[in-house]
Amino acid sequence: MTTQEATTWIARLFQESVERLTPETPRDAVPAWDSLGELTLMADMDEKFGIVLTDNQLRAMTRVDDILQVLRNNGQITD
Amino acid sequence: MATTSTQPATIRGITSCVPARCFDNLKETLAFDKDEVEKVVRLAGVKTRHLAADSECSSDLCLAAARNVLGALAWPPESIDGLIMVTQSPDYFLPSTACLLHRDLKLADTCAAFDVGLGCSGYAYGLWLAAMMLQSPGFRRVLLLHGETPARFASQSDRAVALLFGDAGSATAIEAGNGDNGNRWWFNLHTDGSGYDHLIIEGGGFRDRFPEDPHKHSVRMKGRGIFNFTITRVPPLIEDTLAAAGISKEQVDYFIFHQSNLFIMRHLAKKCGLPEDRIPLTIGEFGSTGGPSVPLTIANGGLKRPAGRSLQLLLLAYGVGLSWGSALVDLPSSAILNHVQLPAAEAAVQREPHAVNAVGGTTV
Repeated sequence: MTTQEATTWIARLFQESVERLTPETPRDAVPAWDSLGELTLMADMDEKFGIVLTDNQLRAMTRVDDILQVLRNNGQITD
Repeated sequence: MATTSTQPATIRGITSCVPARCFDNLKETLAFDKDEVEKVVRLAGVKTRHLAADSECSSDLCLAAARNVLGALAWPPESIDGLIMVTQSPDYFLPSTACLLHRDLKLADTCAAFDVGLGCSGYAYGLWLAAMMLQSPGFRRVLLLHGETPARFASQSDRAVALLFGDAGSATAIEAGNGDNGNRWWFNLHTDGSGYDHLIIEGGGFRDRFPEDPHKHSVRMKGRGIFNFTITRVPPLIEDTLAAAGISKEQVDYFIFHQSNLFIMRHLAKKCGLPEDRIPLTIGEFGSTGGPSVPLTIANGGLKRPAGRSLQLLLLAYGVGLSWGSALVDLPSSAILNHVQLPAAEAAVQREPHAVNAVGGTTV
């Protein structure tokens, strides 16, 4: 998966337009990235990539690139 | 040894009980805006919940359930050899709630009665204890009661829990013997105390008896930690139990999940490759009632019961502690499944007044 594809996945997850979301987009600018959105993120990460996010990882996520970084660290992003 | 089995016992009947007051999350929630409530209801799946009044305790719910199941089975009180009350919402710090219920059910003084302080995992542990007791000479009938009133300790201003919890009690009548097919009962029991603060009521116990912060009297839940715990621990719980028993998923008639949250249960079903039609759901009607959600779901989950054959049930109980466990048991075709509702104020009417002296009581 490329960074662009991963960003598209995140945009769909949080019901955002792909054009509006970049790696630099802060969490505050994504309304659906609330505590319920976190659960959706955790479930999708587990289901699609087999990654179980920890409390610390979730707490440290402040922008879209933090999600991308977890995917990179787990070998899911190739570019 | 986390995985174990016992001689088969026989579930003769299960009755669940909820309070009369039914709260409609969508229509009656005022503390949060409508969109937010709709979103939470959609995700967690809790449409309605039954809420105990201030005068109603888990013991009242269990008492009504116990009276129903004993009456339906025509079991005289003196035939009960053991009473286990699983609860984390007791009437008092002391005595044990089991002793109050022993009195109210007019059980014999030869009956062993005690509390077990477990929550969401309590039904699996309770069944294991009951099965162990029934392997002991002298025990023929055990009454397993499991009741909680989590809505009473959930802050209505805490978005994480306000719309989630309902109150319920249950009574399971278990007898020594082989049931329909003589299968052993299998259990897988676990604990991870490092997550003790993922679901906690910080105040009121002896660690912090009279906290100034009123929030400390309400339950606090770390949603992320609980979700992480659930998706990490429950799949191997299922696999390990089936492996120990030497059966496949296809041989299980129903997977009875602790009704924690619809989103979590659906995720677990998908992750574990379990067909949704074998996962009964009651969370929409009753909310998350803690551990009693397991017997509540057996009684109210619309189980299809073929005549003359036991159902093989895999019960999955997990949460506060962190504590989790499974029980692979048979539900005989003859077992009675009932559900009752506590009439408003039954607790005050049916209970004998507790003789409590404020000062100068007899030393125990």
